[in-house]
Parts: sequence; structure tokens; C-alpha cells
Amino acid sequence: MFLALKEMARAKVRFALLIAAIALLVFLILFQQSLQNGLITGFIGAIRDQNAPVLVYSVDGQRVLQGSVITPEMEAQVRSAPGVGEVGPIGQGTFTGSPSGNDDGETFDTTIIGYELGPDGDGIGAPSTVVDGRLPMADDEAVVSDADVQLGYGIGDTVTLLPGGKQITVVGVALDVQLNVSPTLFVSYDTYLDAIASVNPDAGAPLPNVLGVVPADGVSDEEVVESINAQSLELDALTRDDAAAETPGVAQVQQSFNIIFLLYGLVVPCVTGLFFLIITFQKANSLTLLRAIGAPAGRLVSSLLIQVGIIICAGLLLGTLLYYPVSQQTLGGLALRFETGAVIFWSVLLLTLGLASSLVAARRVLRIDPIEATTGQGVGT
Amino acid sequence: MKLALTELRRRPGRFATATVILSLIAVLLMFLGGLLDGLIANSTGAIRAQQADVIVYSDTAQASFVRSRIEPDVRATVEAVPGVTEVGGLGNVQLGGRVPGNGPRDLASVVLFGYEIAPDGVPEPPPAGQAYADDTLEADGVEVGMTILLGPARSPIEVVGFVSDTNFAGQSGMWASVDTWRTVLSENRPDAQLAEGVFQALVVRGDTSDDTSLTDAIDAATDGATDSYTIDEAISAIPGVESQTTTFNQIIGVTLVIALVVIALFFALLTVERTSLYGVLKALGAKSSTIFAGLVVQAVVVTAIAATFAGALVVVLDLLIPPGSIPLLVTPSRVISSVVLLLASAVIGCAFSLRRVLRIDPASAIGTTS
Repeated sequence: MFLALKEMARAKVRFALLIAAIALLVFLILFQQSLQNGLITGFIGAIRDQNAPVLVYSVDGQRVLQGSVITPEMEAQVRSAPGVGEVGPIGQGTFTGSPSGNDDGETFDTTIIGYELGPDGDGIGAPSTVVDGRLPMADDEAVVSDADVQLGYGIGDTVTLLPGGKQITVVGVALDVQLNVSPTLFVSYDTYLDAIASVNPDAGAPLPNVLGVVPADGVSDEEVVESINAQSLELDALTRDDAAAETPGVAQVQQSFNIIFLLYGLVVPCVTGLFFLIITFQKANSLTLLRAIGAPAGRLVSSLLIQVGIIICAGLLLGTLLYYPVSQQTLGGLALRFETGAVIFWSVLLLTLGLASSLVAARRVLRIDPIEATTGQGVGT
Repeated sequence: MKLALTELRRRPGRFATATVILSLIAVLLMFLGGLLDGLIANSTGAIRAQQADVIVYSDTAQASFVRSRIEPDVRATVEAVPGVTEVGGLGNVQLGGRVPGNGPRDLASVVLFGYEIAPDGVPEPPPAGQAYADDTLEADGVEVGMTILLGPARSPIEVVGFVSDTNFAGQSGMWASVDTWRTVLSENRPDAQLAEGVFQALVVRGDTSDDTSLTDAIDAATDGATDSYTIDEAISAIPGVESQTTTFNQIIGVTLVIALVVIALFFALLTVERTSLYGVLKALGAKSSTIFAGLVVQAVVVTAIAATFAGALVVVLDLLIPPGSIPLLVTPSRVISSVVLLLASAVIGCAFSLRRVLRIDPASAIGTTS
């Protein structure tokens, strides 16, 4: 231990550079983990965190809320499918919204999701977790996503849709219910219809984009999905989780980030392993001498592993400290979050991989023959 | 310098691990860049292809086609603006396309454009019911002469040819006359249909070299009823383009810093290891600059090998990734710029060893062994 720390104290720059490299890598990995999660939540949170267990799209919609159109015939087929309990229409559109709470008078792409209000506003398609205020209980009221409050969509604020000037009042805030990474309002279905009419006088009567379905008692979500899809090749029923995961773009985002994580994850043990291998080569003669005067191989290896542990832990700590302030930011409308689970996962993984990569150097140390001290040879030869 | 190259040739194993690490970092850089290029190209092709100076949306549209409405009287005002030479209507609708031979649930993602001024690489508008398709649709089995059924109304559109790099919002572009577009729009999206003469946007050509003054002139002439953009501005205004570019470039920047630190670390360690050898070389008359140049040469060669290997790997990856999955676009310019940035990082990283080389005292060669 003493030897390990003494050596690090005497070669500060070398070890500091390694810590810096690991810290930057850890920072990038964690930042991108937050970016990935924030992107997916902002992209499909409104689907994942609404209360309809099953969503029915039209096949033409290709699992995009706004792209799907449910005709009256399709709706009748869904309602008559075995195992279907309750059915509610859900409509979605993107508008230009001007929130009164925005001091700079900015306008934003604003998603409006309309659903039929039930008692206390809790109809099929309502946000699952209201964290402040209440659900809409009348027309022209809305619940917003928590990420939108800072843009001026706070409780009591009004959102004016442009053009047309229709106004909607924010009455509640729900957790993680953004869609398409834009401010999202959950409103009554009639409010949604009014919003479309207000911005486009040429518009015909819009049909629901999707249907929210609650299975009958004793029927599972999967069973009702199967039952609805068997009704027609035009219907595309999905459980809530599948609808979120299979929204176009989500799988690509995850695949892309997985490749990036794999590459960054590989660089950390490679850099650590290379560093300690070179250091071991450089110390070859000293290590041989230490072995010759009686230092057990185990102590030298433990000294090496202590250094590896300290370096990686310092890198992890520094990287996490760099990541913390960044994780509190909003990036282009994307709310980042400190991912404690990711910090723990990557810390354990990188520490394990780092220690494993140093085993090559440890093997070199174990192969030292003390007799070589008399010949001037070391592990480096 | 010869000595540095000889060492590289005779003891390649010493540099192998560093080369592997740099290769990984180079793959990361090129993959990240390729991902950014793929995302942007897939989202902006249709706008980049416009052979115009300005795109005009309605004032509250936030540069969104779907939310924009340009009435005929506004168009007339734009046409009368001094400096405007030609104005064309433009609109689009995003739909699923049923391709003959594909499964009933296997639809192609299509964005049908109606245009009056032909974009770059797209011929003049075809007759009603026909369209030019972006060649990315070939991956969905689309062929020339095939009739694709668009949207829930199954609007038939015959493909009369292929064009390139005209996708929009991640969907494959199809280019038709404005009448075809208007028909398909009203058949499939009654809530978004537009009356005769109304367009989602206008593309404008002007005779002035300053596109920004033209956008200002148009918006002033329409009394703020329009929101005009130069082509570059319109590309940046597409949702996600600017934030994606900024975020990816920041990640690429930090990755470059990591490459720099790794190179600095590796060559600092090499320099420490060779201190006594450099002492001997200096004692024999070698200059510090010569020794440092040797280090730089080694760093550049190692980085170049790593970058070449990474470039090849990313190209192979690009070929292996099936169309429609990861939006990776590997371009020569991206590979070259990544290589140049890595080489610059290598030289800067190496500079960390300069101080150590300068500090070596030739006298230390006396009485030391390597």
C-alpha cells in the first residue's frame, strides 16, 4: 500500500493524465446515458406514461400517433373484438403554442393529446402520474409534462395556439409525458378538435388517431391485443410498453447508443491495461530487485491492483462530478436527469474491467524470477 | 526521424496496444460523425435539394410544413417583392406506402411532396398520379413502373423514376405535381387538407446575392404574415437538427480530447522509458528538436494506421448495417476530417513530451545504462 501510494505521489503527472482520460470517458458515458434516456422519455413518454393498457393504431400509421387514423369501421371492429372492455378515442396534433408563463414571449412546437374525460378527468389515455395540480375536468384545461414547466407552461398559465388564438389553461403537471421532445398538453377530446379547427379553417372533421383500450375483467393485455389484431389487417394493437418501444426511431436510438457505449466501455480497460503494462515494463529492474531482497510477489501484485483501483475510482469520482452539473441541464428541450443506476452500473463494470485489464501486468510481475537480479535482466526483457 | 521509423518497423509490438486504443477512439469518432451525418441527411435532404434562395412559411408555423398555410394573396404579395424572380408552391404529406409484394402490415415510410420548382436532381413535375421516388425506397422493394398505394385511402401513385438524397424527417421522399399532392392530402388527411391555391410553403428565387435581405424584404412586404428562411436557415430550423448537431459535435470534441490525452500519456511513458537513450543521443550530438520530431513522427504514424483501420471498419459497418436500422452515413469528407482531427490531436498530445525531451541532460548519458 505504502509502495503503491509513494510511487503515485512521485509520478503525479503520469497518473493524473490517466485519471483525466478515465474521468472524461466516464463523463461521456454517463452524459450519453442521460441523453439516451432523456431522448427516449421526451420522445415517447406520453405513450409510456398514459393509462390506457392497450393502444390501437391503424396499420397505415406505422405506429406513429399523429400518422394513424382510425375510421368508424375500424373503431366498430375494435369495440366488437372479444375481450375488449372500454374503448376511448385519442387524438394528437402539433401546434404552435405561446405560453403566457414565458417571459420572453417565445412560441414552441406544442403537442396536444386529446382524450375523453372521465370522472375527475381520468379518462382512457390520461397521464398516469400527476405530480402537481389536477387532471383536466373541463374543456380548455390541460395537464402538461413536468419538463415543460420551465418553458412557461406552469399551472395557471394559458397557452395560446397560433394561428386562431385558441386558449388552453394549464391545471396540472404530470411526470414524463412529453411526445416528440416538445411541450405536451393533455386535454379533453373536444378541446383537441377545437384546436384543429382553430388553426386550419379548411380542415375536415378529424378522426381519432388511436384508440385506447382497457381489457375486460379477466382478460390480459396481450390477449386483447391478439384479439383486436385478429379482427382486421388494418388494425395494429399494441400493449402500452410495446407501443412506446416500437415507435419509429426508438429502437434506432437504442441501437446507436449501445454501439457507442460498447466502444467507450472498451476504451477504458484498454487505456488502463496499457498504462500499467508500460509502467510494469519500466519498473522491471526495480521489481526484480525487490523480489531478490525478499518482497513477496503477492505484495507487488497487490500494490499494482491498489494503484489500478485508486486510479479507476478517482476517474469514476471525477467523471461523476463532471457529469452531475451537466445532468441537471436541459438540452434543446430535452430534460436530462442524474442517472444513479447508470452511475452504479458503469462504476462496477469499469472497475471490474479495469482490474481485469491490469491482470496482464500482474502476470508479468508474477513471472519475475529474483535470480535475474544477478544478471541485470527484468520482466521487460 | 529515420531512427523513429526504424523503431516502429522493428518493434511494432511496442506500439500495438496504443494503436488498438486509438483505433477504438477513431472508430468512435467516425461512427459518431457518421451517425450525425446520417440523421441530418435523412431529415434535411428535401430542403437541401431546393434550387431556390428562400423558403417562405406562414408566420406562426415555426418552419413546419404541416402547420404552415400560404394563401394565394400572400403568394401574390411575395411574387411582387423587388428582387424575387420566381416563386413555386411546395407542400408535403407523410404517409405509409403499400408496396406490391410486401406484407399487408409492411409499409414503407413516405413523404409525398408536391412541387412547382424542381429541386436539384428532380425532373419537372410528372403528370397526375405519378411521382419520382427517392432511391432509399429501393430497399423497400420499390421499382420504376410500380404503383404504390399511399395512406389509409390507398391513393395510387406510380413511380416513374428514382432521385437521390431527397428524404425529409427520416422518411423517403416522393415528388409529384401539386395537384397529385393536394388530392392525396385531402384523401388521407382531411384534417390537414388545403383549399385550391393554398400551399404549405413557397420556394423563392431571387436576383440578389444577399438571401437574408430577400427574406427580410418578403416578410416586410407581407406585413409579417410570412416567416422566411434562407435554405441554410430552413435546414437548421427543422426540429432537432441544430440540437443534434451541437450535441454530437460536443461529444466528438470530448472524444478528441480523450484521444489527445491517450496519445500524450502513451508518448510521455515512452519518453520516460527512453530518457537514458535520449541522453546518449544528445551526447552524440542529436538535437532536442530531432528527438522530438521522431516522437511526433511515431505518433503520426501510429495514429494514421489506427485511423486507416478505423476508416475501413466503419465502412464495413456501414455496409453491414441493414437499411432502415441505424442511420449511419459514412462520407469521405467525414472520414478525412476525423483523420485530420486525430492527427492534430496526436501532434498536440505528443507536445506534452517536449518539455521532458528538452530537460534531458546529455551529461546524464555518462555512467548510465539503458
